[in-house]
Order: sequence, then C-alpha cells, then structure tokens
Amino acid sequence: MLSSLGSPRQAAAQLMNFGLILSTAFMMWKGLSVITDSPSPIVVVLSGSMEPAFQRGDLLLLWNRNVIEETSVGEIVVYNVQGKDIPIVHRIIRKFGTGPEAKLLTKGDNNPADDTELYAAGQDYLNRKDIIGSVVGYIPFVGYVTIMLSEHPWMKTAMLGIMGLVVVLQRE
Amino acid sequence: MAEQLLDQARDIFEGQIDFEGQKLAELLVNIALSLVGALALFAGYFLQDIKLAVYLGLGGTAATFLLVVPPWPFFNKNPVKWLPVAGVAPPTNIVVDEKMFR
Amino acid sequence: MYSSVVRLQNTFGFFTTVAFVVASLVSLSDFLSARTPTVDLLKTTSLQVVKGRPHYYSSKKEEYAIIKFSLDADLSSLFTWNTKQVFVYVTAEWPSLGSQNNTNQAVIWDKIITAPSSDHLANIGPIERKRLKKSAGGKPIDPSRGKLQLKNQRYKYQITHPSGRIASQEDVVLKLHYNVQPWVGILTWNQEQTWGKWQALKGAASKKFALPALKKKDEGKKNKTTRT
Repeated sequence: MLSSLGSPRQAAAQLMNFGLILSTAFMMWKGLSVITDSPSPIVVVLSGSMEPAFQRGDLLLLWNRNVIEETSVGEIVVYNVQGKDIPIVHRIIRKFGTGPEAKLLTKGDNNPADDTELYAAGQDYLNRKDIIGSVVGYIPFVGYVTIMLSEHPWMKTAMLGIMGLVVVLQRE
Repeated sequence: MAEQLLDQARDIFEGQIDFEGQKLAELLVNIALSLVGALALFAGYFLQDIKLAVYLGLGGTAATFLLVVPPWPFFNKNPVKWLPVAGVAPPTNIVVDEKMFR
Repeated sequence: MYSSVVRLQNTFGFFTTVAFVVASLVSLSDFLSARTPTVDLLKTTSLQVVKGRPHYYSSKKEEYAIIKFSLDADLSSLFTWNTKQVFVYVTAEWPSLGSQNNTNQAVIWDKIITAPSSDHLANIGPIERKRLKKSAGGKPIDPSRGKLQLKNQRYKYQITHPSGRIASQEDVVLKLHYNVQPWVGILTWNQEQTWGKWQALKGAASKKFALPALKKKDEGKKNKTTRT
C-alpha cells in the first residue's frame, strides 16, 4: 500500500481510477435526476409515518413528470416544506383545482391527522412545485445502512476498527 | 514474540488456498448462489410465500459463505511444486545450533 | 480468491447480483397473476352538510359535508405473494364552477389491508393483531381479506372546500380506488383500461348526487345551546 508512494506513476493511476469511480457514480445519479425530472430520484424512508407500506430504511424510486395525467389524490409524494430540509413522504388525500396552482393536502397513512401542522406557518396546502416526485418503485431495507450509521455513531468507529484490523492482518 | 504472534494471526486470517482451490472456490460460489437464488424464487412463487423465499435465500447464502470463505482442506489438495533453484548447487548440509540438517 | 478476505468480498459481490436478479423477477411475477377486481355496489346512504371550524382555535367557519355510504367490492385477486398491503380509499369528486371535469377530489374513507406477510408491521393493538393473524389461518396469503362489504359506513374524513362552501354542490360522485403496495417492485393503482392480465376496475363510481343545503339555522342554534 505504502509502496505505491514510491512510484508516482502508480499513485497517479490509482488517483485517476478513484476519480473515475466517483465521477461515474455522480453522473449516474445526475442522469437519473434528468430522466425523472426530480432533484433526488432515490430517497431513503426516514420515518414510520407511512407504515406498514414503508419502513425506515426502505428505498423509494421517484418520478416527477406528468406525462399522462396530473399528480392526483392517492399518489404517494415526496415534498419539501419551505424552511425545512428534510423531505417528507406522504399520500395526497385532497386536491382542489388543476394545474400548477392546484391545492394539495397530504397525510401519512400511519398518522391520525393530516399534514396541515407540518406545513410552513400560514400554509394550508401544497402546490405542485413543492413536490419533488411521486413514488413509483420500492426496494425494501437496502437504505438501512445509512440510518444505522447516522443514528449509532459507535458503528462508524466499529467499522473503522474492523478496517484497521484487516489492514494490519493483511500481508502486502 | 509479538512479531511471531502477529505472523501466526496473519496466517490464520489470510486463509491461503492453492490455485486449483481458487478455481474450485470460484465455481462453487457461482453454482451455489445461483442455485439458492433459483430455489428461493421458485419455492416462493409456487407456494406464494415471500417470507419463505427470503429465508431460503439468506440461509442458502450463509451456507455458501461457510462453504467457501474458510480455507477448508479440499481447497489445498494441489500445493504448488516449486522447481529447484537453477544454477546453484543445493547445499549439502546446513549447520544450525550445532545440529546438522540435511 | 487466494485469501479469505478476497473470497468474502467476491461471494458478497455475487450475492448482491443474485439478490438483485431474484428481486427483479419477483417484481415481474406480478404481471403473471390476473387482477380481476370488481365493484358490485357503491352508493351513498346519508348526506349532510354542517358548519364547523377547521381547528378549535379557528375563527373561520366552514361548511363540511358528512357522507355515509355502502360498498360491496371484491379485491381479492390483488393479493399475491408480492403484495405487502392494499390501500383502499373512497373519494368524493366534484366539478368546479364552469368546468366539466371533476377538479375537486377528497378522500372520505380509507383502509389499509395488510397481507399476512406484513401483519407484524401493522399499526394495531396486540389483540387486534392476534385476531388478524388468526384470520389468515397460517396461510402465506389471504385473498379473502380483499372482500369488502360495508353497510352505511361512516366517513373517516369530513370534507370541505378551500372556499369554505360545499352545501348544495351538484354532480358529486363517490369513487373507489386502490393502491397495491408490493414487497419489491412498482406501486400500482386501479386502472381505467385493461392492461395485460390486469383488468380495469369497472363500476367504481357511484351515481351522481347533490349535497343537501346547509342544515337550518335554528337547528344549529339548538345544537349550540345543548352544548353550552
């Protein structure tokens, strides 16, 4: 591992390889973003408000184009509230009017009340522009790693420890 | 002493196997996991039981890990036979600690 | 594959490939099973419009429609091994002034029907859960849960309009919808058109009806006096 420092050419090649992997991942993410017209085409579920449909850690695939029809009642959408960073995944239960000015109300399947309380102060309804995508695909559990790592910091330490052990125990 | 212990630990951890064993391990992984996947899919579909499919898949995968990850003796049946070093006459005797080795 | 770490990595790598392929095939298997949902009856049984407040601290008063309905539907064919839950909901839909389309939609009632494979995730009490698990009789899927028979069902959500007016609204219809949530794969809703082995949901709309006028003022006053 350290020997690569000796030859600059090898080190440069490794750096390029690493950069290629990163940029490929980035391009795929952005490409998907363009196809789905959503700033975040894949999201991890962070709350249990849509249980039992979605658990924490499930992966959702979003679609944000209205090709055939408008986003309407019954669809599960991911939306942003002004002034809050965390996107919310809930179901549309009311829609008044059509087009970009339509008034939308959402509710989590597992919540007793609708989302009026979650919206910004003075905001009673969402508009189409608040929505960053409708859920079209579902993959269970795969995103749970990110939740575990962010909620249990000791796991990061444990992972680093295991990696260190592997390095020590591995022969060149 | 510590160096020796580390070396032993490295030996166990490394779990080296011979070339024939590596070929066999690769083959075993591909066959075993494909079979497990197919079994999980068909059992799940025909019995209409998704949980059964998940348990079969995870159980079969765990068994596959157990089969190929440790350096089982059957992966080390064909150790490499090195040729003697050419050009240098093999030493006839080595004296170590006053004992003779041949 | 010469060392244990490399074998571990390679095996895990191939495992993710196999898991992805199997998951894709599981989700594709949805298209092999026929979906033949039917609605035999959907009609309103009682209609009422009252005045109320959106929150207890609100000074604004709005008109609320209170709808009761009867429903007879068979959604049992939606339950396959890849069905995690079916979300059934009834909407009231009505046009805006000067529009032919039903531009207003509001859910008045919904129900989560879990499959036996997801009973353990449902948000219900332990007694209810036990009853639910028992009802499946140990079977991995239980299509009989898709048979819905509701008589004079009370609304779950009273509905209003942003304008605060809903009394005497004409051309209102109730519609039944469903959303099938898979264990893996694409989410699907009821269809207008038949698509492969999946049939369209016909008769999902009730007859058009008009909401009644607001309840008489003195009646409202009477209610008020009894409350205070």
